[in-house]
Amino acid sequence: MAGNNWIRRAHRPQWRFAFLAGPGALFVVVALLLPLLSIVVFSFWRTESYELYADWNLDNYRALLSEPAYRIFFLRSLVMAAAVALTCLVIAWPIAYFIARHGGRYRLLLVLLLAAPFFTGIILRVTGLQSLFGPIGLVNMALGVFGVAPIGVLMYTPVAAGIGLVYLYVPFMVTAIYLSLVNFNFELLEVAKINGARPWRAFIEITWPLNWIGTAIGLVLVFIPCLASAVTQRFLGGPNATSFGMSLAQQFGETGTWALGSAMGVLLFVASLLVILAMRRTIDLKRSGFTGVIGG
Amino acid sequence: MMRASFRWTRFGMGALLFALYVFLYAPVFYVIYASFAEDIVWPFPPAFSALSYGDLFASSLYGDALWNSLLLGIGSAVLSTVLATGGAIGILRYRARWRGLALLLFLAPLFVADLLIGISTLAFNARVLDLPGNIYSAIAANAIPGTSFAFLIILSQLVRYDWAMDDAAMVFGAGPVRCFLEITLPIIWPCIFGAFLISFILAFNNLEISFYNLGAIPTLPSVAWGSLRFGLGPELFALAAIVNFAVFAIFAVMYILMRYRIVQFGYRGP
Repeated sequence: MAGNNWIRRAHRPQWRFAFLAGPGALFVVVALLLPLLSIVVFSFWRTESYELYADWNLDNYRALLSEPAYRIFFLRSLVMAAAVALTCLVIAWPIAYFIARHGGRYRLLLVLLLAAPFFTGIILRVTGLQSLFGPIGLVNMALGVFGVAPIGVLMYTPVAAGIGLVYLYVPFMVTAIYLSLVNFNFELLEVAKINGARPWRAFIEITWPLNWIGTAIGLVLVFIPCLASAVTQRFLGGPNATSFGMSLAQQFGETGTWALGSAMGVLLFVASLLVILAMRRTIDLKRSGFTGVIGG
Repeated sequence: MMRASFRWTRFGMGALLFALYVFLYAPVFYVIYASFAEDIVWPFPPAFSALSYGDLFASSLYGDALWNSLLLGIGSAVLSTVLATGGAIGILRYRARWRGLALLLFLAPLFVADLLIGISTLAFNARVLDLPGNIYSAIAANAIPGTSFAFLIILSQLVRYDWAMDDAAMVFGAGPVRCFLEITLPIIWPCIFGAFLISFILAFNNLEISFYNLGAIPTLPSVAWGSLRFGLGPELFALAAIVNFAVFAIFAVMYILMRYRIVQFGYRGP
C-alpha cells in the first residue's frame, strides 16, 4: 500500500516539477553557490607563503579600501564595463531587429554565425585583432605605406581594450535582444501604424518597452564579464588599462595571496549584484509580455 | 514615400549586420591566413607554406589539447542541455511553489563572471574538497554558465509552446516520457540543438573557468595561454584554422538544409 501511495504522489505536479527542475537547481547550489560561499569565508582569512590560515580578520577588506591602486583599478573596470555595454547596446539593437524581422528562415543560421567566432579561442582572436589593428598591425602599416600617421588610439590604450571587449561581447547582446524580439508580436506595430503612430513613436512606445527584459539581460550579460575582464586589457590595453580582474587573477596566480583575492572576488560579486538589482528595478513585468512565465 | 524609407532602414540594418560579421570574422580569417604563412609574426606580403601543419601533426601536445577541449565541450554541453531542458519544462509547465526560486537559480550563473566562477571553484576544490585540478571539475564548472545559457535559449522558445498538446496526448494514455519524445521533442528540438551548440562552444574554448580547474591538463585555450610567454606557436594557428574549417563546413551543410527546406530548424513560416 505504501508503494502505491508513493506512485500516486510521484504523479503530482509538485513532484514532477521537483523531478524536472530540481537537478539543475541543485547543481547550481552545489557547483556555484557553495564555491562562492567558500571565497566569502576565505576573504576573512589570512594567507602566508601560499597557505591559507583561518584566523578571522578584516585586513583584506581594509587593504582593498585603503590602497588607492585597487580603487583606481575598480573604477577603471566599472567605467570600461559601462561604456562597453552601452556601445554593444547601440550596435546590437538594429542587428537583432534585422535578424528577427527580415531573417526569414535563415534566422537561426544568422544568429549562430555570430557565435561561430567563439570556436577560435579568445587569445587567438585577440592576437588576431592586435595583428590587424595594433601598432604593428595591418591597418597601421598600410597607413604608413601611404604616408599617413598611424591611428594612435589603437595602440595599447584603454580605447583599444574597449574595442576588444565590444568585439568579444557584442554577440551576447545581439542574441539576448534577438531572443526577445523573436517572441515579440510585430503585428502590434501594424496596429500602431493604423492608429497613426510614426515608426519612431511606435518603436519608443511599443517595441522598446516590450523588449526591455531582453535588452536588460543583454546589458547585464555584457556588463558583468567586462567588469571582471582581465585578458583583453592585458593584451590590448597597455600600461594604463590594468583592470580589477587582472589584479584579482594575479592574487590567485603569481602572488598567491588567496585571501586578498577572495576579498576582491567578493567585492566584484557585490558590485555585480548591485548592478543586477538596479536593472531589476527597471523591469515592469506587467509591461513586458513575459507575465505568463514568471507570474504565480 | 513611407515604403522607400522602410526599405532604406532595412538596408541600413542589413549593412550593419554585414559590417559586424566582417568585424567579427576579420581576426578569425587573419588566424587562418597566418597559419599558411611562412613567417607568423609578420605574414605580409604573403608567402605561403604548410610548415605549421606539419609541425602540428608531429606534436602530440596539440592532439591532447584538442581532445581535452572536445571532451570538455561535449561533457559540459550534455550536462547543461539536460539540466536546462528539464528546468525550462518544469518551470513553464507546473505552477509549483518553488518556481520563482528555481528560476532565480537557473539564471544566477549569468550574473557571475567567468573569472569569479573559475577562482571560486578553484578555491572550493583545492581548499575544501582537497581535489587537484581534473577534467571532471572543469566539465562541471563550465556547465554552470552553460546551463544558464541553455536554459535561457530553451525558455525563450518554449514560452510559445502549447502544453494542451501534451495534455491531449496524456488523455489518450501516453506516459510523460512517451509524450516528451513524441510530442514535445519533435517541436522543440531546434532550440535544444541551439542550446547544446552554444553551451558546447562556450565550454570548448573557455579560458578563465577551465584554466583554474584543469591544473596541468592542456586544452586549446590553456595551451595558447601557456605558450604566450614564448610567442604563439604557429601550430596553434593551424589548429584553429582546422577547427574553423570544420565549423564552416557544418554551417554550409545547415545552409543547404535550410535552402532546400529539408530541415526548417524551427522556422514555421512568416
